Amino acid sequence: MENKDMDLYRHTDTVNELLARYGVKFGIYKNNEFHEQLFPFDAIPRVIESDEFAYLEKGLKQRVTALNLFIKDIYGDKKIIRDKVVPEEFVYASSGYLAQCEGVMPPKDVFTHIAGIDLVQGKNREWYILEDNLRVPSGASYPMIARELCRRSSPKTFQQNHIADNRNYATLLRKTMDYVNTGGHTVILTPGRYNAAYFEHSYLAEQTGAHLVTGNELIVENDHLYFIDYSGKKERVGAVYRRISDEYLDPMNFNEESLIGIPHIYDIYRKGNVALLNSPGNGVADDKGIYYFVPKMVKYYLDEEPILHNAPTYLPFYEPDMKYVLENFDQLVLKDVAEAGGYGVVFGSKMTAKQKENFITLLKKEPRRFIAQEVIDFLDIDIMEGDQRVPRKADLRAFVLMGEEPMVWKSGLTRFSRNPDSFIVNSSQGGGFKDTWVLSQ
Amino acid sequence: MKELHFEYHMKLSFDTPVEKHRFTLKCVPRSGERQEISDLSVDVYPKEFLSTYKDSFGNACIYGHAEGKHDHFSALVTGKAKTGLAPSETAREDYQIGLYRYQTNYTAPGPVIRAFADRIPFAPDATGFEKALQYMKELYGHFQYVQGVTDISTTAEQAMAQGAGVCQDYSHILLSLCRIQHIPARYVVGMLMGEGLSHAWVEICHNGHWIALDPTNNLIVDDQHIKISSGRDYKDCTVNQGVFVGQTRQTQEASVKVWE
Amino acid sequence: MGIISVENTDRLYWLGRYSERVYTTIRLFAASYDSMIDLYLNSYEDFCKNLDIPNIYTSGENFIERYCFDEQDPNSIYSNLIRAYDNCVTLREEIGSETVSYIQLAMYAMNRAKVSQSPLIELQKVMDNLLAFWGIADDNIDSENVRNIIKIGKRVERLDLYARLHMPQTEMRREVDRLAGRIPRTCLKYKKENLEMLKTLVESPEINYYEVVLKVEDLLED
Repeated sequence: MENKDMDLYRHTDTVNELLARYGVKFGIYKNNEFHEQLFPFDAIPRVIESDEFAYLEKGLKQRVTALNLFIKDIYGDKKIIRDKVVPEEFVYASSGYLAQCEGVMPPKDVFTHIAGIDLVQGKNREWYILEDNLRVPSGASYPMIARELCRRSSPKTFQQNHIADNRNYATLLRKTMDYVNTGGHTVILTPGRYNAAYFEHSYLAEQTGAHLVTGNELIVENDHLYFIDYSGKKERVGAVYRRISDEYLDPMNFNEESLIGIPHIYDIYRKGNVALLNSPGNGVADDKGIYYFVPKMVKYYLDEEPILHNAPTYLPFYEPDMKYVLENFDQLVLKDVAEAGGYGVVFGSKMTAKQKENFITLLKKEPRRFIAQEVIDFLDIDIMEGDQRVPRKADLRAFVLMGEEPMVWKSGLTRFSRNPDSFIVNSSQGGGFKDTWVLSQ
Repeated sequence: MKELHFEYHMKLSFDTPVEKHRFTLKCVPRSGERQEISDLSVDVYPKEFLSTYKDSFGNACIYGHAEGKHDHFSALVTGKAKTGLAPSETAREDYQIGLYRYQTNYTAPGPVIRAFADRIPFAPDATGFEKALQYMKELYGHFQYVQGVTDISTTAEQAMAQGAGVCQDYSHILLSLCRIQHIPARYVVGMLMGEGLSHAWVEICHNGHWIALDPTNNLIVDDQHIKISSGRDYKDCTVNQGVFVGQTRQTQEASVKVWE
Repeated sequence: MGIISVENTDRLYWLGRYSERVYTTIRLFAASYDSMIDLYLNSYEDFCKNLDIPNIYTSGENFIERYCFDEQDPNSIYSNLIRAYDNCVTLREEIGSETVSYIQLAMYAMNRAKVSQSPLIELQKVMDNLLAFWGIADDNIDSENVRNIIKIGKRVERLDLYARLHMPQTEMRREVDRLAGRIPRTCLKYKKENLEMLKTLVESPEINYYEVVLKVEDLLED
């Protein structure tokens, strides 16, 4: 949007005060101590025109549909391995692949109920997929509540612009949960108060009307899952939107040391007696190594050309790619496939000669461990710093919810880096967020 | 072919009673191409709630819970088994059993296993099955059967480094060696004729069939073994897993009897 | 969804208790603070004695600083507000974001009071937010059960504090009546005999305050 001076921009402080009032925070651990931090908001929105969003929407639905089919195939028939589209070592060496999930099919064959797909826009206006998040992607609550507060602070802005209302996220989420519910209550399972995304867990529970629970409030009995209420009465639970990772979900099936999980929940899931959102084992599809193959999956499963593109990516695992990576090392960004959250990312150009030498040795020793990508020239977005508008790097996490049909939320989480030189927009590394407007006409 | 009787008994004793006990048992043999199970009786104590399912490796599992206080937990499984019905078991397609080609935390080779593997010369046209047999023979000659020098957490590399161990260690090392050669190989828990403890061996996949090798005894399994479960390693075949509430010391006893 | 877990019941109850404790102790503190200014410099000693908290303070000034704002002092107003806050943030889906926000605002006001030159003025804002919290809790929470559990926490705490302070009979009677009228309207399991005992105790011309504290602390079933 070319409007350089909207009323809303004057309200950055107001909105931040309101966010503080409502306790919109995330938790971080510093020196083993828990701290709550506000997530700084910037009032200049990311604006996506309606036809541009229609293109994104189509591409995102296509991508997530293919990813869902991939997970089903990997834990089922494995045709994509037979047809040599994805080499099996990328599947079995992935930390996200869980053998316990072999042969287990979820209610209505939905694995990727809530997908958070990270994109960036290049200076050439082209969108690129950076990463798929299919385990427990977080972040929808921030733009949801920020929109509410922006409308309160500057009603004029929302009168004058035709912006798709994004406060329907709770409705979409509820629909997604209800679609797979096997009969009974719907709950959101949180690791607890000291989890980084606890605000989001509690806010989504409030907004969807689901019950927020911790593991010790749920129990498996008679092949079903129950919530025990104050009087000791057992209420059946049919869907669990779990915000704890696979490994901690069930000590009898995954990490046996887990104290926050629910023993045997996976056993009754296997029997189809409860829905888990998202499905355990999804990590096999959002691995940085598997990322390379997603456009190929789209072709393979849907017989369609991928609408959205990956950032140009090389797999040193393949000989020609290794050669390219070594020849163009300084132009590339290298990512360790085992790391997440902006960690394990290094820029070839920023390494000293010694670092480069060490890195290349490691790369040659463990080629499967890394991917290399062209550095995308991001289209910057302005933020307000005092009275000044200054450009910053920003990405977009789009949310795709898979009910009967894939649904794309007409908004998203736009995160920006605080530091002008930084490409890393992860909130755990100090950035802020913006509202994402999808224009309705 | 043999007609065998078997009795598997496991008992966990708690010096102070425990409660809210949740458990999973993998101790029931299933019928398949190589064995036929009949007259099966499974007795679990306490049996407040029990249910069954098949895990991702195809093993028969019993899961359940006991809310009330109890000072022991036990399982007695008895029945008859016709064994040696076929020389091997049909495998899924080669592209579907890839997970058995990859090392696990238990089987990942270190320098000792790698050096051992490098010393073994194969004929240029040796099949996976021939390689596995040769590994088994070399391992049998090299490794000592000694009880008490390893435990359930010992890895293949650790066991190989000390040169001695029990059936679990023989099996993990053979798995490690086969997987270095990309031969699909899995860990098997079962019962062997005679009286003693449960036994462990290995199955390797060759030409679409799982063939069972017993590295502890350096033989191809025929009709003296009754298979209970299989998986990538020991962990996938854990016989008894549980969580409970209570501060207690536990002692486990187990016995296996197989006779004609 | 109309059902509520043991954990949340417990948290609602303690949210009621701690919010009341903060509110009433600020009020009491404000009264004593006035006399501490120029009249009776050591009145904090009586304050501690009345509230049955250990007198670990070295002077009036030290008392003001630590009793109000010391996070490390488990009896401080600050610590009690943190406990209210900790319970509150885990109840968002039961009581609603609007309701939660007033405890959050009280927390911010408390942090400002801590660094202020005139803490009493800022503490007033903590009280304002607590009053608003009770107002909105009453107005905004749909479930009568949920509302009432918070109120029971509040009533229990007030009765407890009043008994420790040896408040006059009329006030004691009123607090017991309010408690007795509401507790059957919740899912809380309580000891009926102790409630009856409380009613009798406050009718006696010479109230055995010590006994009242014991009975009120032992009102709920574990």
